Amino acid sequence: MKNILELNNVNVSFHTFAGEVKAVRGVNLHLEKGESLAIVGESGSGKSVTSKSIMRLLPEKTSEIKEGEILFEGRDLTKLSNREMEKIRGSEISMIFQDPMTSLNPTMTVGKQIMEGLRKHQNLSKNEAKERAINLLKLVGIPNPELRINEYPHQFSGGMRQRVVIAIALACNPKVLIADEPTTALDVTIQAQILDLMRDLQQKTGTAIILITHDLGVVANLSQRVAVMYGGTIVETGTTDEVFYNPKHPYTWGLLSSMPKLNSADKELMAIPGTPPNLLNPPKGCPFAARCPYAMQVCVDNMPDVTDVTSTHKTACWLLDERAPQVEPPEAALVGGAR
Amino acid sequence: MAVVEREKLLEVKNLKKHFNVGKNAVLKAVDNVSFDIYKGETLGLVGESGCGKSTTGRTIIRLYEATGGNVTFEGKDVHGKKSRKDLKSFNRRMQMIFQDPYASLNPRMTIKDIIAEGIDIHGLAKNDKERMERVYELLETVGLNRAHASRYPHEFSGGQRQRIGIARALAVDPDFIIADEPISALDVSIQAQVVNLMMKLQKERGLTYLFIAHDLSMVKHISDRVGVMYLGNIVELAESDELYEEPLHPYTQALLSAIPVPDPEVERSRERIILEGDLPSPISPPSGCRFRTRCPHAMDVCASKEPKWLEAREGHWVACHLYDNELNTENKQQ
Repeated sequence: MKNILELNNVNVSFHTFAGEVKAVRGVNLHLEKGESLAIVGESGSGKSVTSKSIMRLLPEKTSEIKEGEILFEGRDLTKLSNREMEKIRGSEISMIFQDPMTSLNPTMTVGKQIMEGLRKHQNLSKNEAKERAINLLKLVGIPNPELRINEYPHQFSGGMRQRVVIAIALACNPKVLIADEPTTALDVTIQAQILDLMRDLQQKTGTAIILITHDLGVVANLSQRVAVMYGGTIVETGTTDEVFYNPKHPYTWGLLSSMPKLNSADKELMAIPGTPPNLLNPPKGCPFAARCPYAMQVCVDNMPDVTDVTSTHKTACWLLDERAPQVEPPEAALVGGAR
Repeated sequence: MAVVEREKLLEVKNLKKHFNVGKNAVLKAVDNVSFDIYKGETLGLVGESGCGKSTTGRTIIRLYEATGGNVTFEGKDVHGKKSRKDLKSFNRRMQMIFQDPYASLNPRMTIKDIIAEGIDIHGLAKNDKERMERVYELLETVGLNRAHASRYPHEFSGGQRQRIGIARALAVDPDFIIADEPISALDVSIQAQVVNLMMKLQKERGLTYLFIAHDLSMVKHISDRVGVMYLGNIVELAESDELYEEPLHPYTQALLSAIPVPDPEVERSRERIILEGDLPSPISPPSGCRFRTRCPHAMDVCASKEPKWLEAREGHWVACHLYDNELNTENKQQ
């Protein structure tokens, strides 16, 4: 089996006082062994909710996976009991959160937090677990691991804390690692260190990574495949090269062209007008139609089908229908320009 | 940037802002920072968190009292004793846009009252009708509409709130605006909207900006000149194209090479300068050059001597011993 994780038509809703918020609407995704997939999108696009639904970390009282299946090595995670899920969480699939300041327990030593998972999932003795924890800290590049293992999170800097979080996530050799904005809270020079570390670790351990981010630069740096999310749906997916060099969806064009390029001359940025749709009452048709400069009547009325551009590159846009007018992407969306 | 007549609007000289953090420890957030801002230009200030860029902005506008140094605005001293009237007239000329559009608008006030607060304080409207006219005009300038005037902040999205923050700053017709990370709380597609708006307003009204941010690519886009800060010092200052094409200071070089570029091919082939370690504590910064603990080119002299602020090329200032010719010739003679 090539796909280690498969999401088929996943729908997630939140029940709020204002009504049902349809945060994720019909997401199809797959993750192959050892690859790294990025999910990009703005806040509220449903990227974090998608990842949390894989881990079953959404609040049970207010949210619900309404439809669809999440297959991990052929088992549907949505149907597992909490006890069964506990066995998978942290050992088979683990997660790195955005903020290293809040994802560590301030009252526990760093070593204890790394050992927690090892003791629980792998039945290691205290000494074995400690040895493993020291090795893990060494692996993520923390100097003097024998000493630092007894320190508390507040004694670490932000970048070092994120390294500890990564060490905890990798402790049980997970098959899938979900990284939810792993570098957003960090400074640029520290971000470069962490990205370097993650790339290095992926090569060493062969863990498949789902990277959730809004930063296209980070995507280009770390991922082999990309899924672009908007309004709770995936609007475009493909290999990183396909999505960056041959984007087909107007939202992807907008994202690529609204970022200033370091080598560009002073020009007005191509901004995407308007704001994202309200998912309390999601639009009937394409979620991007209201902000799309190429929108047609059909976009407002009907959800576009997914069109295969290549066997790996898929886009949900009416412009790719054979009856639609031919539209060229704006110049600013062409990454690398001259190439 | 062809600025023919460069008229100084703001002069910052040896600005210092120290905070007492107990037990005789002093945090030197800003230490000996000097720069000028010319009329009509945008000066960008970049650096990592904790480098003192926001403190610099806040001290310039006198949200903090400076520990030392001068800020001169159109020849007049900003700090020091001032009568109420003087302070008021000065406040009218200089305004600020804040980072967090959620925290910087009073949730109990309507948008019209938020925007008109400055108009009321400075008595810029004769009667209620004129006041509302101005509010409407400002709302339209920033791309909102009249109907928004009687609403409350929670009814707006982040990007819209930041537009309200801009309208509030514009209400008193300032010449100079300090924008402290105005876009970092916003989504990418909304960031571009706000930056475009700020650039448009600058063109129409001849505004001068101090643009503080950590997003280097956005700073390059909006700024004429850019200053790079590290641990309370400015380490390099140059015109933005020059700075990005030929950075001189090792820190600037590392900072630029660390930005991930949204281009997979470039990312695959790029050689990065990855800095070792973390930012040292500003309470006990390293002696000599503050960057030396992470600098790949550090020499002996860097530990003992603070680098001079010198003009390595025309208009390109840097504080680094590598470019100190006096020092280098001295070394050769020895």
